[in-house]
Amino acid sequence: MTIEQGGRPVVVVTGAAQGLGYATALRLAADGFLVAVNDISDDRRLTELAERVGGLAVPGDIADPDAVTAMIATVVARLGGVDALVANAAAMAMGPFLEQSALDWWRQIDVNLSGHFRLVQAVVPHMRAAGGGRIVLIASEWGVSGHANATAYAASKAGLIALAKGLARELGPEGILSNAIAPAYIDTEQLQVDADDAGVSLAQMRQQYRDLIPTGQLATVDDIAGAVAFLVGPGGSAAVGQVLQPNGGVVRTRA
Amino acid sequence: MSGTAAPAVVAVTGAASGIGAATVGLFRSRGWRTAGIDLRASDTDLPLLQDVTDPEGMQSAVQSVMAAFGQIDVMVAAAGYYEEGIDVCDITRAQWDRMLAVVLGGTVNTCRAVLPQMLARNGGSVIVISSELALGGSATDLHYVAAKGAVLGLVKSLAVEVASTGVRLNVVAPGPTDTPLLSADSLWRKGDYLRTLPLGRLVRPSEVAAAVYYLATEGIAYCGEVLSPNAGAVI
Repeated sequence: MTIEQGGRPVVVVTGAAQGLGYATALRLAADGFLVAVNDISDDRRLTELAERVGGLAVPGDIADPDAVTAMIATVVARLGGVDALVANAAAMAMGPFLEQSALDWWRQIDVNLSGHFRLVQAVVPHMRAAGGGRIVLIASEWGVSGHANATAYAASKAGLIALAKGLARELGPEGILSNAIAPAYIDTEQLQVDADDAGVSLAQMRQQYRDLIPTGQLATVDDIAGAVAFLVGPGGSAAVGQVLQPNGGVVRTRA
Repeated sequence: MSGTAAPAVVAVTGAASGIGAATVGLFRSRGWRTAGIDLRASDTDLPLLQDVTDPEGMQSAVQSVMAAFGQIDVMVAAAGYYEEGIDVCDITRAQWDRMLAVVLGGTVNTCRAVLPQMLARNGGSVIVISSELALGGSATDLHYVAAKGAVLGLVKSLAVEVASTGVRLNVVAPGPTDTPLLSADSLWRKGDYLRTLPLGRLVRPSEVAAAVYYLATEGIAYCGEVLSPNAGAVI
């Protein structure tokens, strides 16, 4: 990667306006990456983050193929290439399987899986031009073990895991290394969605999840950002097609 | 990571060569104090000559590290050896017993020796080196694969047993790694095999050390997890 050539490698982080994506952008900037941050809307959080990390804001809906193409063209024009992709943007709508609308189903698949499929297609030529690259797909424990009232989300995240493995085999020989991370319970804004679905308070939700985790601790966004940093950094050069599961021991299923 | 002024301490079994030596080298380059437990002298701040199959000897070795450095922040169990090219029916009782004694028994002895002080201060990390063969299976080295697989069960169970404390146990299961354990004519070094790997090459000891270091320094959210830097051998 460029970082080993003395330059600053370029990373694109989707879903970066808050939570895990935000923490990952900060971490990778601190590790020496030039960071392009994406989220669905061009709000102040994204531009402030880009300013804070000395990077570039590239807002856009990754479910929109044209937006994806334009976004990567902007990154390449402004930052000179793409060396790494962190696919973190996600849509989620909880509900019983039989009651979920087709619209809800496809929105989650379109953003979480198809959007990142197109994003990978857009960045790989630039990684090839650079002689290698890293792709980290943020999956989910629910994509490994499944979860009630989250079938579309779980299916999209399981699809991302298979995508990471397929890309690993197809692009690994070119030095483009794909891996996935499957976090379980992270202390982010997303917990509020879960709490609303369960009809409990945020504090109750946190405690319910802690009770499920052997370590009794929710992962922090910095824990997951650290896993991303490992995979895109110099130490991750032999990891390909793997699924990291920093989940406090909660999952008794392997990806 | 110890939260004190003194540099953190890592103790490594099998520190004299291969993955153990690379691990010691990486931690040392990041300012850690290092202790090496091996049959041979290791290039560490505290080289101890000790066979991991000896339970009392391992207790003594850990006490020596404690006496020298005050605590052990990270314990890496990398001691082991490899034998290949033996059909299952030809593995002798002695070969089987020795492999289990070193790989599984050595890990048990290491954990038993180091865990009490970690539990007493509610912190610390144990990282055990297994193998991608334990995940994917293999032919003509069944005793090695069985022993490395048993290590997975041991660590996953121990990790959950102490999960409510600040102590973490995890595994690094490398792919075939370019160390002296692989003989010059090993099947894993041959082009026919390497071409089946997405990365087309052996794993470097430094890449295994990097995974160990990541787990040791940023791995608080992992509990009984298996990281496998394996060049794509098991996906």
